[in-house]
Amino acid sequence: MSSHSFAKVLVVAKDEWRYWLRSKLAISVLVIGLLLTLSAAIVTAVTMMELSHTRASLQDTAEQTFVDQPDRHPHRMVHYGHYAFRVPSPLSTIDPGVDAFTGNSIFLEGHRQNSAMFADQKQGTALTSLGSLSPAFILQVLAPLLLILIAYSSVSRERESQTLSFIVSQGTSIFTLIIGKGVALLCVVGLIMLPVIASSGIAIVQGESIVVVLSFLSAYVLYLLVWSLVVLLVSTAVSKNSESFTALLFVWVLFCIVMPRIASSTASASIVSPGKLETDFAVIAELRKLGDGHNANDPAFSKLKTSLLRQYNVETVEELPINFRGAVARASEAQLTEVLNRFAENSMQEELAQTQVSRNFGWLSPMVAIRSLSMISAGTSIETHHRFMREAEDLRFSFVQSLNQVHIDKLNYADDMNRNANAEAGQKARVSAENWQMIQDFKFQLESASARLHRSMPAFAQLFMWIAIAGSLIRFFGRRAI
Amino acid sequence: MTYLLKQLGREWRFMLRQRYVLILLLCSFLVSGFAVFTGLAEVAQQQQTIERLKLADAKDRLEAQAKYNDPGSLAYYSFHLTYSEPSNLAFAALGERDVYPWKHRVRMLALEGQIYESDSQNAELAQAGKIDFVFVISALAPLFIILLFHDLIASERSSGRHDLLVSTAKSKYALWGSRGIVRFVAVVLCLMVPFYLGAMISSTGFLTTLLVSIWCIAYLAFWTVLSLWLGKKLASAPRIASILIACWVLLAFVLPILSDLLINHSVHSAKGGDILLTQRETVNDAWDLPVSTTMDAFAATHPQYADYSYQGEGFDWGWYYAFQQVGDQASTDMSNDYRAAAAKKYTLAGYATLLSPPLLLQRKINRLANTDALAAFEYEQDIRDFHKALRMAYYPWLFGQKKFDKTQLTSLPQFEDSTHNYKKVQNEQ
Amino acid sequence: MNNKKTQFAIEANSLHVDIKNAPILRNLSFQVAEGEIYALLGGNGAGKSTTLKTLLGFNQPSSGKVFIAGQEVYSALDFIRRKTAYLPESATLYPHLSAYENVQYFLSLADIKKSEDELNQAFQRVSLQESAWHRQLQTYSKGMRQKTAIALALLREAPIFLLDEPTSGLDPVAIDEFNQLVRELASSGASILMVTHDVYGACQVADRIGLLRNGELVGEYDAPENGRIDTEQVHAAFAQRKAL
Repeated sequence: MSSHSFAKVLVVAKDEWRYWLRSKLAISVLVIGLLLTLSAAIVTAVTMMELSHTRASLQDTAEQTFVDQPDRHPHRMVHYGHYAFRVPSPLSTIDPGVDAFTGNSIFLEGHRQNSAMFADQKQGTALTSLGSLSPAFILQVLAPLLLILIAYSSVSRERESQTLSFIVSQGTSIFTLIIGKGVALLCVVGLIMLPVIASSGIAIVQGESIVVVLSFLSAYVLYLLVWSLVVLLVSTAVSKNSESFTALLFVWVLFCIVMPRIASSTASASIVSPGKLETDFAVIAELRKLGDGHNANDPAFSKLKTSLLRQYNVETVEELPINFRGAVARASEAQLTEVLNRFAENSMQEELAQTQVSRNFGWLSPMVAIRSLSMISAGTSIETHHRFMREAEDLRFSFVQSLNQVHIDKLNYADDMNRNANAEAGQKARVSAENWQMIQDFKFQLESASARLHRSMPAFAQLFMWIAIAGSLIRFFGRRAI
Repeated sequence: MTYLLKQLGREWRFMLRQRYVLILLLCSFLVSGFAVFTGLAEVAQQQQTIERLKLADAKDRLEAQAKYNDPGSLAYYSFHLTYSEPSNLAFAALGERDVYPWKHRVRMLALEGQIYESDSQNAELAQAGKIDFVFVISALAPLFIILLFHDLIASERSSGRHDLLVSTAKSKYALWGSRGIVRFVAVVLCLMVPFYLGAMISSTGFLTTLLVSIWCIAYLAFWTVLSLWLGKKLASAPRIASILIACWVLLAFVLPILSDLLINHSVHSAKGGDILLTQRETVNDAWDLPVSTTMDAFAATHPQYADYSYQGEGFDWGWYYAFQQVGDQASTDMSNDYRAAAAKKYTLAGYATLLSPPLLLQRKINRLANTDALAAFEYEQDIRDFHKALRMAYYPWLFGQKKFDKTQLTSLPQFEDSTHNYKKVQNEQ
Repeated sequence: MNNKKTQFAIEANSLHVDIKNAPILRNLSFQVAEGEIYALLGGNGAGKSTTLKTLLGFNQPSSGKVFIAGQEVYSALDFIRRKTAYLPESATLYPHLSAYENVQYFLSLADIKKSEDELNQAFQRVSLQESAWHRQLQTYSKGMRQKTAIALALLREAPIFLLDEPTSGLDPVAIDEFNQLVRELASSGASILMVTHDVYGACQVADRIGLLRNGELVGEYDAPENGRIDTEQVHAAFAQRKAL
């Protein structure tokens, strides 16, 4: 583009802004949009920071309570259990994603994998079923509507008042005009994004990777660019303001309201995920084969017994230098966890497959693309929740096995067998509370920046496809337009 | 009458020639059809799941009952399935069944430790929300109606036909009235016919179907009248539509979100985590407390077992189940508080929906379909009642008032799905 | 109808019309007799369209009265609608319908039943070529669309025609055809009020011309017996008034 036509583009853009500033509709839409984004950014930031703070302190309390337990039989502590809390990611101040829909705490205990409990949505009012006040919702759903309301007439207005042929007959290309209007529209996009940019600055301070934040923000800019192009396209392609308006509104309903839900309905209808309760039956059947880890005489552990007896070269379990019951508990926990993990992994894969189906609708609606991209980058997608489940499981397994190790090393087998004889025997079958110190500090860490970026690539491809389609259609209709 | 029919017939034929109207009608039909179709599929899935679970549950319990012989172990190892079946209107209003659980397995251990377990659906899909018939009517239909009605007059005005039309027509009502009625009937048919098909397939009651129809048509009429009224007042079609869309955003998003913020800030409740923590602490501490402490606390609420004497010094099932129950008792206040807060939020949200017709409609129909939070609360209460019945059945054996005999296991309480009760629901309307 | 006003098809009496508090018509009085062609001539913004809209009952006069066929416009809108046929400026019928369907639709709106033959006759009378009768209007030229609208007006069989710039955008041949038709109508007893800014066209066809300026009638010109109004005279008056 020559500097001459660049200057023309700026003239067009400036003129468009002057039109908006003089039109009551455009200016009120702009002000409302800014207020919405700003209030959403503030409210969500405050809410998520509070949540983050609460959960972090609950995590500390849980660790402290665990450590403060008195002398006990180590297996009692296995059942006493521990908690893991998911601290929200820094960018959840912009896109809380699934946070309210998944439980955010897990009770960790021996022999069981519990699901996450206390999803906030269950204590909700159901008033936000159509949309929530998160900046992500505003940018994904309402911002396109604002762009439509502001700019539906950008080109069709010129045609209706016949200034279009006037301008073109003066030697200004229609593309200069369209690009000029596009530039004006991008300024609006920048304006709407301002509160979000400020909010993501805070996320950087809280430790989010700069690359992720930049990719997150550029994804939103690309998304709103797609919409700006769509608005210009329709406004160029049709002959009347009212037609442009109706067509755009229709496209918006389809992309932003209908498609995301069709995506999720299709996903859950096409891939049936049996749910935890149902898989639990299979888990129970599988576990029955393993034997009861509480019962050292369970025949399932005879192999362990033989190998231990051979290893320490003794005749009976009583002669072993270690506590056989602890060894059984440890071996059984390992086997059981292996089974549980297999099923858990399986159900997570099913959920991922479902999610993938719904994400593929990003090829049919840019809103679905940005929705996935936003949650993935922000670390509020289902993958992050799965990661939390896995990390919590690691924590569970490690603390249970550490306790079993204490059981093996620090508790005499005879005392252990005798623990239910009387109160005094019960006292003897205990280990010192110092052993509870082994509990690890748990702080949920997001996936690495590169993993999230890598995962968000398909959605970026979807957005670029939308830009390419809209751009080439504008070229096509622009040539025909005059 | 024939004159009226003639007017309507003319406008009906005229409408069939308008491509843009036909496209909108076709879209509304397709979206509504899709919603009903996936709704039916979802409900069928839920029913099949419940049937499979019932079988698996019975089999699993039989296996457990075959393996153990004492009531303590039997109670410990037998799980019992509870469930809440989707009503025959649920296909149209899936409601909150993707957020609240509708299936649960419980056993005789402390209930507070089990009841918050959730077997929830894919969270990312739940967050996007599903498309069900109620969503189509409450959120989408207003947009279709705005698109269909805002320029009923304005488009004729802008293409210069308005004066000719009005000066030709015998009466204004013959023109705008019949045009409006025809479009309204068409859009209502396109939206409702899939619902009626769905209602037939899932044999929804006539009264329920009628009630849903009345709610939906009244709601659609509200948006139509609003669109026509504004359309008469203003001349520029985009301006009319902008204002209508603004109303829609305000009613469907802004007011409900603000009410949600307000309600969440005004209602405080115990944190779920605290309930669980208290219950766990009580249960775990009981191992170290003198047996009498636990038994006294238990006897306070269950005086009939007050004279139960603790067997020996080691482990005893009666004591074990007593401290499970005491654990529940310790967290009763918090748990009640937690539920009361949820119920209060539900009530307050009811007032808030008076400001938002879309959510009012959703709430009314979810209520009719028994898929709302209230239904979930009732189901939770059913679980609690069932757990109590189970305890009451086992206690006499555990506390030695009745001699245990394995054949008596058949007399254990069976879970009955009481939420699946339309009469009750309809009476409350 | 024993009203004394029946002698005039259209009568305006000291008509005042304000739109958004701005006076548009001021003390306008004129009469159109039965079988007369009256042209209301005026420049842009003189108040021509407002006069028509007031006659159609779209504007409420702030004072003064308008009568059509002896009835006060506002007291008998239904009656007025039956008595008048209105031809809008750029005759805008439905582009997605054919001439045939458009006419049928509008007749049905007016609750008038016409046979297929009568429709054919009307199209022939306005000399709309037969090949176009069943084509969608979006393929028509402006003249053809005008003819369709005139055919509709004829079929209405109303005794009073209100024409808004009827010849604007038509080619000379079409204008001649149109003028011929208007005279035929008048001679068969119809009363015609046309508003226009075309001095020459008005003089060609009108029996009487009223010159409208700033909402006021500033002169009336009658055609001599068996002759036409002198174009030079009217043009001079039109130009002079404009210059003032």
